[in-house]
Amino acid sequence: MQIHQVLVTASPGDAITNSALELRKLLRQVGPSEVFARYIHPDLADQVRRLDDYDRHRANWTPNDLLLFHASIGEPHVYSFISERPERLVLVYHNISPAAPFLPYDPAFAGLLEAGRQELAALRDRAVLALADSQFNADELIELGYRDVRVARLIIDVDRLRQIEPEPQMVEWLDRIEGPVLLFVGQLLPHKRPDLLLKAFHVLVTYLVPDAHLLMVGTNRLPGYAEALELFRRELNLGAASFRGSLSDPAWAAHFRRADLFVSASEHEGFLVPLIESFAFDVPTIARAHAAIPETMGDAGVLLPPEDDPILMAEAMAEVLGDASLRSTLVARGRKRLEVFDPDVARAALLDHLLSVV
Amino acid sequence: MDSPTAIDDLIKRLRDRVEERRGRGLYPADLEADLDAHFERIAAHRPSPYDYDQLRQRLSELDEAMGFSPAHIVYESGLPGGTALHRSIGKMVSRQTAGILEQMHRYAEAMRDVLREVVVVLEHPNSHVHAELLGQVDGIVERLADFERLPADSIVGLADLRRRLERLEAAEAARRFEPWYPNERFEDEFRGSRSELLARYDDLAARFDGCDPVVDLGCGRGEFLELLGKRGIAATGVELDPELVKAGMARGLEVIHGDAVEWLAGAPSGSLGGIALVQVIEHLTAGDRADVVRLAAEKLRPGGRILIETVNPQSLYVFSHAFYADPTHDKPVHPAYLDFLLKEAGFGQIAIEWRSLPSPDESLEPVDTNAERVNRILFGPQDYAIIATR
Repeated sequence: MQIHQVLVTASPGDAITNSALELRKLLRQVGPSEVFARYIHPDLADQVRRLDDYDRHRANWTPNDLLLFHASIGEPHVYSFISERPERLVLVYHNISPAAPFLPYDPAFAGLLEAGRQELAALRDRAVLALADSQFNADELIELGYRDVRVARLIIDVDRLRQIEPEPQMVEWLDRIEGPVLLFVGQLLPHKRPDLLLKAFHVLVTYLVPDAHLLMVGTNRLPGYAEALELFRRELNLGAASFRGSLSDPAWAAHFRRADLFVSASEHEGFLVPLIESFAFDVPTIARAHAAIPETMGDAGVLLPPEDDPILMAEAMAEVLGDASLRSTLVARGRKRLEVFDPDVARAALLDHLLSVV
Repeated sequence: MDSPTAIDDLIKRLRDRVEERRGRGLYPADLEADLDAHFERIAAHRPSPYDYDQLRQRLSELDEAMGFSPAHIVYESGLPGGTALHRSIGKMVSRQTAGILEQMHRYAEAMRDVLREVVVVLEHPNSHVHAELLGQVDGIVERLADFERLPADSIVGLADLRRRLERLEAAEAARRFEPWYPNERFEDEFRGSRSELLARYDDLAARFDGCDPVVDLGCGRGEFLELLGKRGIAATGVELDPELVKAGMARGLEVIHGDAVEWLAGAPSGSLGGIALVQVIEHLTAGDRADVVRLAAEKLRPGGRILIETVNPQSLYVFSHAFYADPTHDKPVHPAYLDFLLKEAGFGQIAIEWRSLPSPDESLEPVDTNAERVNRILFGPQDYAIIATR
């Protein structure tokens, strides 16, 4: 039995790619397993195979073989490949971002997201099993008519994250920052609402905690949107807020170790991995009650109501920064919350799900 | 904080605190709306999201993908005997396959051509053109806003500005003309000697008998003032050229240094008995000519007189002799126009006197009526005086 995985795009730091590589470790315990992608970042060339070379890398076909497809943006080539392969298909769903917020900045990308949703709907009858990493995602698949939908927790190796050695120069730079540090980790995309985060931070430093800093870590894949955010930051004179771009693992770890608070203003997440990462690094969290965020956060962070309210958000930031007992309660709850996402439990559950359809 | 509901309590406490701080005025009332509007303004002005290079790259990929051919059909199969089966099916339907491929090719070519055109159309009216146009529109809007800020009586204000501008231009022209010779020498040479002028204007001075006080606007060397004085008429002169003012004062005349039209505008209404403009009106701008007549009607008392003496544009002789000999002459003024202006300003008893006939030696012998007609046109009176009563 061989179980291969297919993605549209493999790039470093991408949640779907990370999840596929993590899953491969597990699947290789069962049989041959490779990760194939249509577009591969050069840094991953030795880890991920080209989809066009699928026939060269697979073993002879057997009726028990499974193909795991991580659904994301629309891609006709990948879609026709998935549709035509004889292997039984398991769909893995991490959510597809809503297209509408992208329209003003990148209409072509909005089109790809929309196509991704259409492909997702069209694969309904092809899939023998659908795995979603949150109930929110599972509900979307059930809505689309998928029959066998199960929630399978993401495999997040918290111990590995904690063992990443922070980059010394970055640690030195971060240690020079005086005052509390707020951290946001996520791509600079409209549905993650970095604009609302900047508004809340503006309220925070203007009226409540003047010496606070905000570090925003994540790639900017919409240049027009990133420029607008940078201009907004400058016009609000927020010298203490900075866009840190995408970071290497050691630099990323240094940021989590320095952070006093993780904040997200996002209004659409299929899971929100940085919450788990914050729990792993004993960083208290604030986020808004949208999509899968409440079920990921549980009671381990400050869950703000869904409305756009930069003042309430800033007050919550000030409260967590200023109340030591609240902070230690949140940190303790975060550690406890990690038990729900225990990677060994997640691995075992995932294997059970896959083997049940073999 | 021990239970999940404690988070709800915390949110409630934070909400109450926000309300309390709003009540105290800590947060400005429009803070959120201002922040939202600020970001929306920036987002609306972001650069074009289109990457045309990428679009062209995709187009060339489309070209490469267009090689539709039965040879690209893959017959391999994982099933035993599948490949041979697919091949024979392929052969059986090859005619139909070729037909479909041909139709697809025609469709794809047409589609590619349309896309190429669309890329060109999209790319060319690009953001820099838009930015330039928007910049121009901004400029126009700003200028419009300037006009809108003008007070309600701006039309009156603009008319006043126009008049001042004309006067400034005239004054500037006069100021620039500063000959190195004394004006008095020029007057001697071209207008005649003092005694000649005294003889020439004696009859005109008599028209102001009983019209005290008289003002002579643009009095020059002051001969007309002298004549008025001899007749016992109280008279004042206004003259722009300071040298001529000094010369007049030296002869015991009352001469004021200044602009004639401005001086008249400042005189009290109904305060004058007579106003004289002797060889002056042809030096004024069109605006000042009209204004000086209107002002005269205002400043003269009822029964007061105005006398305007100037060159006669109906005589062609004038243009070959006197008029263009003076470099400061602007335009000759037609008697019909002065007649019109005076009537419009409310003057009555308007009379025109023709003066300074050219020497008979210069005109044609009046041998017949034709010669007389030509003489009237070519050798008509060089000056005229128009006299009107308020």
